[in-house]
Amino acid sequence: MDNYKKFLIFLSKYELTNKKLESIMSIVEDKNIESIDNLIEDADIVNLLSSNEYHEMLKDANERFLSSLIANLEQSEVKVITKKDEEYPKSLADLQDAPMILYAKGDLSLLNSKAISIVGTRSPSNYGKYVTEKFAETLAKAGLTIVSGLAYGIDAISHKKALEVDGKTIAVLGGGFNHIYPEIHTSLANEIAEKGLLISEYAPFIRPTKYSFPKRNRIIAGLSLGTLITEASGKSGTIHTKEFALEYGRDLFAVPGNINSPKSELPNILIKSAQAECVLSGDDILEYYGIDKVKQEKKTISLSIEEEIILNLLKNGEQDFDYLAKNSNITVNNLNSYLTTLEIRGLIKRMPAKTYILN
Amino acid sequence: MLSKLKSLGLTGIDGFVVDIETDIVGGVPNFELVGLGDTAVKEAKERVKSAIRNSGFEYPVKHITINLAPADIKKEGPIYDLGIAIGILGASDQLQNKTYKDYLFLGELSLDGTIKKIKGVLPMIISARNFGYKKIILPKDNKEEASFIDNMEIYTFSTLKEVVEFLDANDLSFKENFKVPTKTFEEIALVNSNKLDFENVKGQRMAKRALEIAAAGGHNVLMIGPPGSGKSMLAKCFSGILPNLTFDEALEVTKIHSVAGELDLKKGIITERPFRTPHHTATAISLTGGGTHSKPGEISLAHNGVLFLDEFPEYSRHLIETLRQPLEDGYITVARAQQTITYPASFTLIASMNPCPCGNYGAKDRECTCTPTQIHKYLSKLSGPIMDRIDIHVEVDNITYHELNAENKEEPTAKIKERVDRARKIQLERFKGTKTYCNAKMTVPQMKKFCKLSEECQKLMEMAFTNLKLSARAHDRILKVARTIADLEGVENIAPNHIAEAVSYRGLDRKYWD
Repeated sequence: MDNYKKFLIFLSKYELTNKKLESIMSIVEDKNIESIDNLIEDADIVNLLSSNEYHEMLKDANERFLSSLIANLEQSEVKVITKKDEEYPKSLADLQDAPMILYAKGDLSLLNSKAISIVGTRSPSNYGKYVTEKFAETLAKAGLTIVSGLAYGIDAISHKKALEVDGKTIAVLGGGFNHIYPEIHTSLANEIAEKGLLISEYAPFIRPTKYSFPKRNRIIAGLSLGTLITEASGKSGTIHTKEFALEYGRDLFAVPGNINSPKSELPNILIKSAQAECVLSGDDILEYYGIDKVKQEKKTISLSIEEEIILNLLKNGEQDFDYLAKNSNITVNNLNSYLTTLEIRGLIKRMPAKTYILN
Repeated sequence: MLSKLKSLGLTGIDGFVVDIETDIVGGVPNFELVGLGDTAVKEAKERVKSAIRNSGFEYPVKHITINLAPADIKKEGPIYDLGIAIGILGASDQLQNKTYKDYLFLGELSLDGTIKKIKGVLPMIISARNFGYKKIILPKDNKEEASFIDNMEIYTFSTLKEVVEFLDANDLSFKENFKVPTKTFEEIALVNSNKLDFENVKGQRMAKRALEIAAAGGHNVLMIGPPGSGKSMLAKCFSGILPNLTFDEALEVTKIHSVAGELDLKKGIITERPFRTPHHTATAISLTGGGTHSKPGEISLAHNGVLFLDEFPEYSRHLIETLRQPLEDGYITVARAQQTITYPASFTLIASMNPCPCGNYGAKDRECTCTPTQIHKYLSKLSGPIMDRIDIHVEVDNITYHELNAENKEEPTAKIKERVDRARKIQLERFKGTKTYCNAKMTVPQMKKFCKLSEECQKLMEMAFTNLKLSARAHDRILKVARTIADLEGVENIAPNHIAEAVSYRGLDRKYWD
């Protein structure tokens, strides 16, 4: 392992800002510093550090400590990528605040694949869930990598859907690998590490903070050709991702929603102000990039009259059980069994509060 | 002189015979009461003394010793006052003959000699009848309770004086005046109190159907919905569609309520299925029964009826777990240092909960303010064995104003009950000769026998599991519920549409929450 990487592993332990890391590393390169001891004794570098940081570093600045850090990483199968590595994503390389170091678990080849990020609210409506699943499915099936942040809501739905259709997905964490947040998503994170890629600019033992999440959003935006916002309120953290995407000159896509729905506020505003491309299906995004869509085999499904009636009633959006019972003239017990059969066949989906929606 | 007469006592909900022996000898005036009585029994001394004097008799100024045999079983309550008083009168020769030996005496005395009502009369009389006793003397206020017991001569009185007159009388027709005429159960059962009717519940078709299935197969139900959506109302209507209590069931229920002192004395016997709603701050003992003066708890009071637990996750984990044994076995065993008591507790559990702590998750018209972690924590309170015992999960949502004011008539309780009764009949026929009486209580071998699936059904089941990501525990529940749905339809074999409907009642296994 080269010194450059070693130093970065060492430095990243102290939660320095990316900028600080960058300045230190440029001094290291200019002066050709070759050992940790020299690094910590260099006056220019010490000047950059706060006294706290300096004293902390002084405590464990020795080769033994460093090799134990590296051994730990190897043991937990965490790979480290710096700007000098071939694997370092080209999409990030030119950004002015590109992360100096990336910890990764999983398939590194995804870092340089064509990717779309899907982001949004942590508590989506039924509509938001539906839209996100639809888009994630189409995009993942077409071979695009789905990038998101492993948070609740839109993030998790996107990851799950991509995995479900055997697509590729990258989760960018706001903390180290040992502190998956939210904790409930630990198993999801493990699955992504196995079938996709988990990355973070933080060392494994660093806990996520309030400020680290907005920062990781720049990686999400940076990694992808475009960012898709399916549902987010006007005050959502998604705004950060959107801003990074615009700053980096990446594409922004938004799915329109009900103008009364607070959860569709951000995408609607983005569409109105022409900051984002209005998209109505995953195919719109594929078309935008000139990617061939995967041909859906049209299954001919034979439906009974009652099933036709139910599907017709659901054409105008989600409906609840009582509405269906009242307007279909099907007895309650039969309606229940028709709905379940339709659901099993993948034609409709059941949502909370006994609501049904076309799939 | 010595006198001996009989009375009764209670352990759990079963009675035992107590001998009251009174011995009066000369010497220093004293009153000694032995035989493991509690404070209420011991205080009989003062009550009996005043009651005897105030009824115009003489209280012997001698050494009085009273023994309650068997001396090793604990005796509770003021029920021995009357027996002790008669014993003293008998031993001091104030009664003209010894007919008191033929009777069992129960009753509390007040200082002026009136006889007051007591608790637990019904189970005690039933036991006395089983032991072969025929004649019993009771407080007048307990008359109704006793009037369902045939093959017994039951006499009720309001004062001590009346009892003495009765014992002294030779005139049979005079004695007949005090006898309680027996009633038949059907006479009383016909008078049904005004209950909430499903007719008054607008909309909520899915929940109504689910409750119908639950009533038909004896399944436990969990209702999930935002506050104010009518969960409690639906639950209250539920006991109305359950099949009528049989006389034996009614006696059992009355016995328990009688012991707990919760009996409506005007009615005497409970003719409707009980509906109990303990609050979530209830203690474990109030739920299971027990305590120093062992009393049946809420779950036993709900025996043969409905136990409704509103806001289910708010009950402490410990409380919910105590429900496991009764839900499985139909009784609860309360072990205490002094004694171990078994109370029957076979009830239908209706639980209700909000979908999340704020209650608005998934609601059409309101915003949920909970974080996903909060929701996860809230729901995880219910995971595990207790969910294995709830067959049906059903969602309830707020109904719209439009629906509330809709003119269309909803189906009345009576009509639903007809269907339920029919389905129950099929089940009784099916399980004849076994301990099982409804589909929910089917054993594994019984399920193998009665829930055979055709190839088509099996295929559907498999697809449901893979496509809808059902958890494994759902399998048996779905089979049982499907069996009930088939019974409601009056069909012998489970068909695919029955399976499909049963699957729709497994909401919590589906995880469309996160």
